Order: sequence, then C-alpha cells, then structure tokens
Amino acid sequence: MLSDTWHLFNKYMTITMRMPLWSLFTLIQPLLWLIIFAQLFGNFVQTGEGNYMDYMVPGILIMTVLFGSSWSGVSLLREISAGSVDKMLVAPVSRVAIVLSRVMHSAIQVIAQTLIILAVAWGMGSTITFNPLYLFMGLSIVFLLGIGFASLSNGFAITLQREEPLVMIGNLMTLPLMFVSSAFVPVEFMPKWIQYIAMVNPISYAVEGVRAIMTTPQDIMLFAKDFGIIAVFAIASLAWAVSAFKALRD
Amino acid sequence: MTNLAISVSNLTKIFADNKAVDTLNLEVKEGEIMALLGPNGAGKSTTIRVLSTLSGFDEGEIHIGGIDIDRDPETVRRTIGVVAQQTGVEYFMTGRENMMVQGRLYKMKKADILKRIDELAKYFELDKSIDRLVTTYSGGMRRKLDIATALIHRPKILYLDEPTLGLDIHSRKLLWKYIEELNKKFGLTILLTTHYLEEADGLSHRVAIINEGKIQISGTPDELKNNIHGDSVVISFDDVTDKEKAYAEGMKQGGQVIDTLWDGNNLHLYVDNGASSVPPIMEQAAKDDIHVKTLSLARPTLDDVFLKYTGTSMLDTGEEEAEEWWHQWAGKDGGKNWKGNKWVEADGTQKGEWEESDDWQGNDWVNADGSSKEAATTEETQEGESADWQGNEWVNKDGEQKGDWGDSKDWKGNDWVDTDGKPKEDWNGSEQQVASDDSNVTDDSQNESAETTDKTEPASDDTANWQDKEGESADWQGNDWVDANGKPKGNWDK
Repeated sequence: MLSDTWHLFNKYMTITMRMPLWSLFTLIQPLLWLIIFAQLFGNFVQTGEGNYMDYMVPGILIMTVLFGSSWSGVSLLREISAGSVDKMLVAPVSRVAIVLSRVMHSAIQVIAQTLIILAVAWGMGSTITFNPLYLFMGLSIVFLLGIGFASLSNGFAITLQREEPLVMIGNLMTLPLMFVSSAFVPVEFMPKWIQYIAMVNPISYAVEGVRAIMTTPQDIMLFAKDFGIIAVFAIASLAWAVSAFKALRD
Repeated sequence: MTNLAISVSNLTKIFADNKAVDTLNLEVKEGEIMALLGPNGAGKSTTIRVLSTLSGFDEGEIHIGGIDIDRDPETVRRTIGVVAQQTGVEYFMTGRENMMVQGRLYKMKKADILKRIDELAKYFELDKSIDRLVTTYSGGMRRKLDIATALIHRPKILYLDEPTLGLDIHSRKLLWKYIEELNKKFGLTILLTTHYLEEADGLSHRVAIINEGKIQISGTPDELKNNIHGDSVVISFDDVTDKEKAYAEGMKQGGQVIDTLWDGNNLHLYVDNGASSVPPIMEQAAKDDIHVKTLSLARPTLDDVFLKYTGTSMLDTGEEEAEEWWHQWAGKDGGKNWKGNKWVEADGTQKGEWEESDDWQGNDWVNADGSSKEAATTEETQEGESADWQGNEWVNKDGEQKGDWGDSKDWKGNDWVDTDGKPKEDWNGSEQQVASDDSNVTDDSQNESAETTDKTEPASDDTANWQDKEGESADWQGNDWVDANGKPKGNWDK
C-alpha cells in the first residue's frame, strides 16, 4: 500500500510540476486577502497586545489550505471520467493508496503555498516566528487540515458523483467556514450564535493552533490540544473518503 | 486446467432497474481473438468492466485463466491487460512516464519496466516519441500508448473496449495490424468489443453478437455471415424477357442460388458465398445467351446481422453514452442500494427536465410556426422573416439569445417598420431614452452598431431599444406579441 501510494503520489507531483502556474493561481486569492484584510481590518479590530497582521496571518495560512485542498475531488471526478482511475484500478493496486496519494499530494501542495504566503507576510512586517521547530509544528497542522479537507472533497466527489454540487460544497466549505471561525476576528467580537458555530468548526482550532505556535509567546499546551483535534478530524475524513471509494467499487 | 482463457456462465449485472447484462454466457479459448459485436448500450462495456474486476456482478460465475474472479481478483488483475474506451493515459506525462507508473503499480522492478518499455515502444513504433508529453501525441498514438501500457506486465489476456473508436481509417487499419500480430506472435488471447462489422469480420477468429445484455449468437465471421443472408448478387438486364426469367428459374432449380427476387430489370440472387458464385452465374448467363448489363455483389451489413438475430435494426437500438460511465461505476450491488437510486434520481430528474422543455419547445414551435406559416404563404418575404423572428424569439428564451438576434438582420430593419409603426411609440416611452439606448448598444456590441448605422434612423432606434429592453423582456415581449400575433401572448404567460 505504501509503495503504491508513493508511486501514485509521484505521478501527481510530476503532473503538478509540469503546470506550476496552476498552483500559483490558487495563491492569488489568499495573497489578496492578506493584503486587503491587513489594511481593512487592521485599524479597528482589537486583538490584545499583538498587531492585527500577526493575528491574521495564521488565518490566511488556513485559508490557503482550504482554497488549495477543497477542490481535490473535482479532479478525481475528471480522472474518473477520463479513464485514468480505471487504469489504476485494473492493476493490482491498493484502493486505499489511490485516495491517500491524492490527499497527500493536495496537502503537500498546500504546504508549498503556505510557505510562499509566510514569506510575503514576513515581507509585510509580520513578526511571525522564524524558529524552524515552531514553523514545522505549525505546518504540521496545516498539513493535517489539508489532508482533512482534501479527503472531504474526495469523499463528496464519490458520494455526489457530480461536479456541480461538488463545486457548491467546495464553496460552502471555504469562505463561510472561514468567517464563522476565529480566523479573522477574535471570538469575543462575534455574536453568540456565530461563537457556537466557531466552536464546532475545525478551522477555528486549526487557526488557534497555528497561532499558538507561530506567534510569540508560544503556547505549547494549546497547540497540543488543537493538533489533536485536527488530527482526529483529518483521520476521520480520510477514513470516510476511503470507505466511500471502496464502497463504490466493490 | 482447461484451455479456456475466459469462461463466463450466466452472468447477470443489474443497474438500477434494468439488466445491463442478462444471463450472459461466453467462452474464449486461449490464443483466440474474440469480438463482442453490438450497438451502444448492448452491454459490451459492462461485460468488459465486470471481466476486468472493475465492476461487480449480481449473478453468474466467471473464470479468467482458470481463476475465479470473485475469489481472487488480484491474481486475475495480474493475468489481464485492459484497454478501456477512454484512454486513461496522463496527458502531462511522457509516454515513458505513463508506462513506468503503470509498471510500478504491477510491482515490477524498475530495470524490468525500462526493458519492457523499450520493447513495447519499438513494437508500437513509438520509440521516437516515447519521451515526449502525451499532449503532443495524435489520437492513434495515444491509443497505441494506451495498449502498450496495458501490456506492460506481460498479461496473457488482453481486453480491448472499442479499440478503434474515433480513429481515422488509416490509424484503425494500423491498429488492426498490431492487434493481429500481438495475437499471432505472442499468443495473446484478445477479447475486444466493437460495433464495426469490419473489425469483427477481419480481425477476430470468432464473433459474439450481443444485444440487450445477451449473446444472441456466436461463431466465426464466416459462419455468421453464411447464417445470416448469404450475399446477394444483383444482375441488371437491358430488358426482361422469358429468356431471362427462365435463366433465373434455372439458377434456383440448379441449386446455385438460394433464392431469387425480381426488382424491375434487376435480378437479386441470394447465395452463400458471393465471390465464388459469380463465375458460375456468369457462365450460365453466357450459356443461355443472356446479356448481363451490370453485376454487383452486396455483402450483408451489420444491420442485416442484427435484424436477423435481434429482430430490431441496429439503428433503433442506439442509446446515449454520455453519462454511461457513472452508470458503469455503480458497485457490485448494482441498483440495489443507494448508488443505483442516486443515479436514477439524477438521471430521472434530468430526463424529466429535458422532456418537459422539449415538449414545451415543441408546442411552442408549433404555435408560433403554425400561425406564421399561414401568413408566410400569403406574403412570402416579409412574413417569412417574421416567422423566423418568432422562431428566434423562442430559441432565445432557451438561452441562445445573442447569436440569433444577430441573425435576424432583415427583420430588424424591415419588419419592424413595416408591421408596426405605432407600437414603436409604445415601447419607447420617451425619445430621450431612445437616444441613450442607442449609444449603449454601440458600446455593447460591434455587430449591432455596424448594423444600426446601415439602417434608417427609426429602425436603428428600434433595434437599440429592443436590445436594451432585453432585461425587461416581459413587458416588451408582451407588447410585441400583441402587435404581431395576438394569440401567442398566451404562451408567454405560461
């Protein structure tokens, strides 16, 4: 299974590297948000001692994850209709590997994108940590969240079997979920009902965790809690996607 | 072990509410090329998918190379190579990379894969392009690469689902050559599906005609053809006299032909084997001192084959293939679970919509056309145009707005001014608005502006206004309908 995953992952990476522009395109929106939000909300959102820029960058990172990974299912549908999934399936290949390689590819792509966003944020004067260990820990949450949302997207692709509703769900997963989380606005600023949604929204925890580890002073305990929550979310989503894929086949 | 490469007994596969494959029986011997011949939707692809372990099945037993497909699908997968209808090759990888990935999925060693790639590339004459991106390949090359990737692990059995679909004649013939050689040189057992008679005829050792999920008959191409009609030899004469009639009767009595049929001055002679029966036919004619003007030999067509064994013409059994892949993607449970329902639901609602809109269009067209047709007969040119226009109008509602507007050029100029005069004021509301509208139009579309400048002023105003009011089309259409027809207004309200 692992070698199958590795070879398929390699295949997707090869294809992605042939079209690097595509992954850059998905970066445009988070970059715009980074610039616009910093200017727009920076003046009136009070975030305690730190500046708004630092408060917001983790949110933008998570947004990049959502934009990057929530469309993974669309390409799965394309691959199915193009026959390349069948091509894999006629080989004695692990069915888990097919889903796993896709979400891994998506998550890795997202990591590369977040690194670019980070670089821009530093350029804009953010005081996000340079400590490689903390960065790595923060990115591990990014990675897991990427796995989670890519799995959800793949799972929905298989269950819905159509591109249109999948795109709709993709839209629903991205922006609204962002705004009902603590990504851009501290929870205290929210109306009560949004606070409740934010509490069950995995994005809140991902943002919280990234923020806890990437801004000084680090809060390791908070990070550990959020990491655990996101890990559970990622594993559950992945398990669901794999079982949907298997159910469809056998 | 038997020498059967593929043995299928009583295979049944149910999608939603219909049996895609219905108690199908099939045997393919080792080293044989077998063709499944049938129209779209006959169950060919479904059968191939089941035999490739891609789809489950509801009933029946399948052995591939002696192995039960249900018990040990992994081993079956190693035994077979599958070329599906859609070329599943990745466009943004080179031919070599595509084959490498596929080889890896079969757990082959890298050195072995590289060796095999060289072999196959050479065999399919892809060696010059093997390191180019597949995007640069032609359709025929892609097909060849697809087959090559399917052969990477040296399977004993190869499935080809519509291998030459969408290829030009030249590529098709070339592909036939490769397939034939694969079978001859390497002893590969090949099961292919096709709806081309020539493909089944020229390429395969045996043919199985499949329709509605069942094998109707199978045998060698010659057996089938002799079973069907025989060939028909058509002789035409300058004139039909007793002499010719006696000749025809003599041929039938003599047993050289199965049956005869007169069609004017043409005599149809049904024979088992057209080519070999022509010389005796001509000899007899010479003996009887009959002058044959022309002679032609017609071979049975796919439709003849079909007619004979299915009772329907192949042309009537066509089925849309567009969404078939999801159909085929339903799992082993076929239609018994949610997947099936989901599919039906999606399809059902879609079809419903289509039918509705079809009907609706139909009625509408009848209305619009019917009323305008009457008019058109009285005054050909002008009313004819207005008929067109009504037509376009309806089409518009379906979404093809602009193109059609552009088309009804004459109408804008002439018809408007001619038929109306008055209504013009009605819609314009105020003169100022017209002027501003006009400028809008010029900005909006070049065609439109080019046209309006050609026309007289009032006409252009009309066009402008028209265009602009598209947004509020309800009002405008209302007015318009009242002016032109009166009746159709009812339709609009609907």
